[in-house]
Amino acid sequence: MSAIDTPRDAQTFHFVRAGYDAKSASAALVYRFDDDPELIETIRFADTELAIPAGREAAFAAALRLLHLIAGISYYKAAVPPQIAVDGAPLDAALAALLDEIYLHGLGEFAHRNGLDLRDRIEFPHDAHVPDVAARVGLPRRTLVPIGGGKDSLVTVELLRAAHEPMTATWVGRSPLIAACVERSGLPRLNIERQISPLLFEMNRNGAWNGHIPVTAINSAILVCAAILHGHDAIAFSNERSASSANLVRDGFAVNHQWSKSIDFERAFRGYVSTHVAADLDYFSALRPLSELAVTRLFAPLTQYHDVFSSCNRNFRILGDKPAERWCGQCPKCHFVFLALSPFLPKTRLVAIFGRNLLDDATLAADFDALLEVGAHKPFECVGEGRESRAAMAALVDRAEWREDALVARFHERILPLLDAGELALAPLMSVDGPHHLPARLARMFDALG
Amino acid sequence: MDPALPLAPSARWAVLKFGGTSVATAPRWRTIAELAAKRVRAGMRPVIVVSAVSGLTNQLQALIDRELDAAALASETAAIRERHLQLIGELGIEAPTATMAWLDHLATLVQQAPLRRREFRWQAELMSMGELISSSLGAAFLASIGLRCQWLDSRQWLKVEPRPNQSEWARWLSVSCATRSDPARVAALAKTADCFVAPGFMASDSDGATCILGRGGSDTSAAYLGALLGAERVEIWTDVAGMFSADPRQVPNARLLSRIDYAEAQEIATTGGKVLHPRCIGPVRESSVPMWIKDTQRPELDGTVIGDDVARDVLSVKAISSRRGIMLVSMETVGMWQQVGFLADVFAQFKQHGLSVDMIGSSETNVTISLDPTENLVNSNVLEALCADLAAICRVKVIGPCTAISLVGRGIRSLLGKLGPVWNVFGAMPIHLISQSSNDLNLTFVVDEARADGLVPRIHEALVKGGALRADDSRVFGPSWASLYRTAATSPPEWWRREREALLRLAAERTPRYVYHRDTIRERATQLRAIAAVDRWFYATKANAHPAVLRTIADAGFDLECVSPGEIEHARATCPDARLLFTPNLARQEDYRRVAATPALLTIEHLGSFAELGDLLRGREVSLRIDLGSGHGHHDKVRTGGAKSKFGIGVDQLGEAVRQAQEHGLRVGVLHAHLGSGILDAAHFGRVYQDMIALAEQVPSVRALNIGGGFGIAAHPDDSALDLARVAELLATIKHAHPQYELWMEPGRYLVAEAGVLLARVNAIKHKYGRSFIGLDAGMHNLLRPALYDAHHPIVNLSRLDAPDALRADIVGPICESGDVLGGERALPATSVDDVFLIAQAGAYGAVMASNYNRRAAADEVML
Repeated sequence: MSAIDTPRDAQTFHFVRAGYDAKSASAALVYRFDDDPELIETIRFADTELAIPAGREAAFAAALRLLHLIAGISYYKAAVPPQIAVDGAPLDAALAALLDEIYLHGLGEFAHRNGLDLRDRIEFPHDAHVPDVAARVGLPRRTLVPIGGGKDSLVTVELLRAAHEPMTATWVGRSPLIAACVERSGLPRLNIERQISPLLFEMNRNGAWNGHIPVTAINSAILVCAAILHGHDAIAFSNERSASSANLVRDGFAVNHQWSKSIDFERAFRGYVSTHVAADLDYFSALRPLSELAVTRLFAPLTQYHDVFSSCNRNFRILGDKPAERWCGQCPKCHFVFLALSPFLPKTRLVAIFGRNLLDDATLAADFDALLEVGAHKPFECVGEGRESRAAMAALVDRAEWREDALVARFHERILPLLDAGELALAPLMSVDGPHHLPARLARMFDALG
Repeated sequence: MDPALPLAPSARWAVLKFGGTSVATAPRWRTIAELAAKRVRAGMRPVIVVSAVSGLTNQLQALIDRELDAAALASETAAIRERHLQLIGELGIEAPTATMAWLDHLATLVQQAPLRRREFRWQAELMSMGELISSSLGAAFLASIGLRCQWLDSRQWLKVEPRPNQSEWARWLSVSCATRSDPARVAALAKTADCFVAPGFMASDSDGATCILGRGGSDTSAAYLGALLGAERVEIWTDVAGMFSADPRQVPNARLLSRIDYAEAQEIATTGGKVLHPRCIGPVRESSVPMWIKDTQRPELDGTVIGDDVARDVLSVKAISSRRGIMLVSMETVGMWQQVGFLADVFAQFKQHGLSVDMIGSSETNVTISLDPTENLVNSNVLEALCADLAAICRVKVIGPCTAISLVGRGIRSLLGKLGPVWNVFGAMPIHLISQSSNDLNLTFVVDEARADGLVPRIHEALVKGGALRADDSRVFGPSWASLYRTAATSPPEWWRREREALLRLAAERTPRYVYHRDTIRERATQLRAIAAVDRWFYATKANAHPAVLRTIADAGFDLECVSPGEIEHARATCPDARLLFTPNLARQEDYRRVAATPALLTIEHLGSFAELGDLLRGREVSLRIDLGSGHGHHDKVRTGGAKSKFGIGVDQLGEAVRQAQEHGLRVGVLHAHLGSGILDAAHFGRVYQDMIALAEQVPSVRALNIGGGFGIAAHPDDSALDLARVAELLATIKHAHPQYELWMEPGRYLVAEAGVLLARVNAIKHKYGRSFIGLDAGMHNLLRPALYDAHHPIVNLSRLDAPDALRADIVGPICESGDVLGGERALPATSVDDVFLIAQAGAYGAVMASNYNRRAAADEVML
């Protein structure tokens, strides 16, 4: 029996090799369980032939290795075998430490949901060699902005546009929704295709472990390769402050659904990239010093995106003209974005975006309680902090056009009296603060915010 | 007339309006020129009213809405200039001086954007530029091909008439105009040219400043000019040949409205009809100028004529229209019963905030009104301010977004008796407001927008079937949109027409008798298997379990779905190689025990089963049937999802089901939902598939999704066939995004319904109270569907297949039940006792549902 047939019995996960083919502009990432057939993932960086630019060969090789090691997480998690083996040149201590962190924290929710403890399983082998510090490789002044189809990256686009940043909008995969958002932005575009090994699906059918993986870490590594190939000296993600907060702590281990969007990941990853891949490649999140609510407020006036964007996790792969095709109305993302936009938009416009009024649906009471973090832990989704939801809800209590809606009235009556009135103001949540890695040229980007 | 001579001064005026697409390319301008020349040859003096080239108005609006720096502004104007220069080049004319001057003026205005962006006067002037440019260009082109054509400045004719309570915004950007005609001035204008091109969308105020008519402005310009010039008619040239009984994008079988009066046209436009803006009817109505709606691409089609000359005695719903984004404001008195002046107080607030109220519903202590989603309501905080003020005098609640669905027709109150089928469509859906317009022109239902999907087509169908929309009355209704615009799918004649002789021979042997056609079953199977996204097909054997039918379907690559141990045993005996899926409903433990001894995959559909069956099935994979909470289908009794349905477990019970499965050692490998049957809407299958994926993502052990069947068959003449290609495309898109799940489907009826007919013989014919009954030897004991589901089956007199229709009769069976009607009020040829009748589409749920009620014998079954 192989691990393909009985995934949970696998003993060793091998990182076999990674290569790049200029003719198809594709990277092939190869993995294997035990002595099973190889699992091959391909990532295509352009529609046409694309050579590695001269002078960037070493940087690209380092980037590709990093991508190979990080993208392996999708396959590793299918079996979480006791052993990890990296074929080829040994890892150095810094890289092994980065990978240990990404695998352990990035699979935190996965482990929690499956009742697994990965702390004694994840250990990337390494030796004592110390690699040379990465050089500058002549990357031109241009920023790659990954677009997710939700509000955050569109806010980044407009902030950077106002700061006169030269930009390329990029996305991984074939989502027509993201393509539509990119189209609206009017920016130059770079679409990257990713083909997961079909054997992984077979393993899933045969009872592999399944669950959340840190997709932002994988996309970050893909974009590092893309930046070197296409010539960009910055990658600007759109993760805000609250992405750093944990959903729950279990046995002393903080589980954060969006760990690869946290500042911990950002710090570790950007540090590694600038010292071990290319000294002139900057990786940062443009929205880090903002709360979800502050980002939402910036998004509210961007009406040009209102009828194309969606943050919904369930419907977002399918594009449609009708709101119900873009917003399922049932998932925490739909609930949070609706609530977070409500203080900043006319009610008529907000309900038109969603095609319904989620705050007048009494059956969603428990779901909104989870957002408010009253009597439940924060949902495993990329949503804001409980106090942001509470402040938004409290703002609606003061608005006559919202006050009688089922969930606002319920909050008013049952939850508000239990809360500390001093912690419900919106204004403190709009502040620009906390650690971030924005480059100096963008330091004044938020000055216009009141 | 001689084209070399100018038109006589007495020549009648015709106003022709063309939209943005029609003026954006050279070939479309040549079409306009031809139509203008044709009017001149017919002795009419055309005025061509034009919009800006397509997309330009939105582009200009964006310059108002978005802050751009000088470089970006300059590149916008350069692009606009370039686009028009290219069009001028394609038209083969010299760049007209006037056009170039307008383009320069546009550049100057755009440069002022950073300073004047918020100024309404500047906005109005900027917005008018697109039409000024296109009309000046068009006038030059028409002159270049030899027409005595001049540019006509509409602003000299359309004079703003201020409205009371008008906002500053509306005073510049949504104005109304006077319609008083000045014959002397018209006569003077007539002397200057044979043909004019005029910019739509604009007027001028008493100071001569440019103002904008707002949305639908060019149609309204044409209507005003028609009224002012006393035109013979106003022709609106657009992309569709007129107004239809419903939006053809939602209802392909919507009928063309050949002739309607102004009031009805206005009502259709006001309640959501998209073809005309409501504002453009008023001017032509006041001056009794007929308005034509014509298709630019298909000028030969008759289109719609709006005017006084219509048949007023046709009592019919003319159209069904809908509007989205409606907001309701519900106001509850906090004061006393019979409080004096409450309505006056609340309405004063609406006036104060410049909001126009549309519908009103009131009770002793509550008044609820509707607001249309105007720009003001969507983009400003007016609703917030209004509610803040209202809250001081009442309890206020804002409900929305809602969709208002209106049935439009003169004398709608007299049609209530025929609206029964419409009430059924609404079913238990919450309706927030019903409004019966006081002019007796419409009946409007306001429902949640999220629930309104698909309502319009179903209501249209109910109106036609109930006889409230008299689609057969050619004085009002023309052909359907589908017949005008869809390349006629030449569906081959039904198989039983080809096999008529053989069928008549079989009927001579005995009746009633079911006959099945193997090739048709195979054909349907092939069609379904072409849907590549589906990995495994099951045939729902309950639809027709005749052994020859089962074998034909199994041979075509289908596995079998069974709902009882009896069906399982029958399927195993008939098709030993087929894989089996067991999907019972509220079955006893013994049923599961019997089937568990076979290799069939078992479906669990209630929580209690886990405890009962855990030991028996430990370690096995099971399928879990989910009720997604909303059903679909052609009749309440075939909807198998929703709170009232007895099938499946609730979505809210999924977590508990998975927990119990784990506890009892069962693996939930398949999720299954089946929401109904007879579904003709392709999008439905995509929705179910997506819903299932969202659920499957919560259950890691799931490897396959069974989204049921329900492929509908067009039974009624006004049904559109289900678009299988669209279903295939939709499923493939979703499959591509979620390749980790196998996709299963389990059609039943689709495979066999059309392949089966029921043959019967006429027992007796009777006439009573003006109604005719044809009594067959087959009845509800043979074919229950008409009685059980109100199902419609095509019925023909097979003995006289091609004879002309001569009577309308109810076709009934011999059972002593008033519900024993196989088909009501069918048109038939002259019929005699012993004629052979054929009841079509009887292959599914026919013989399998037979009973021996009244001790009448069952029909036998024959495979052809």
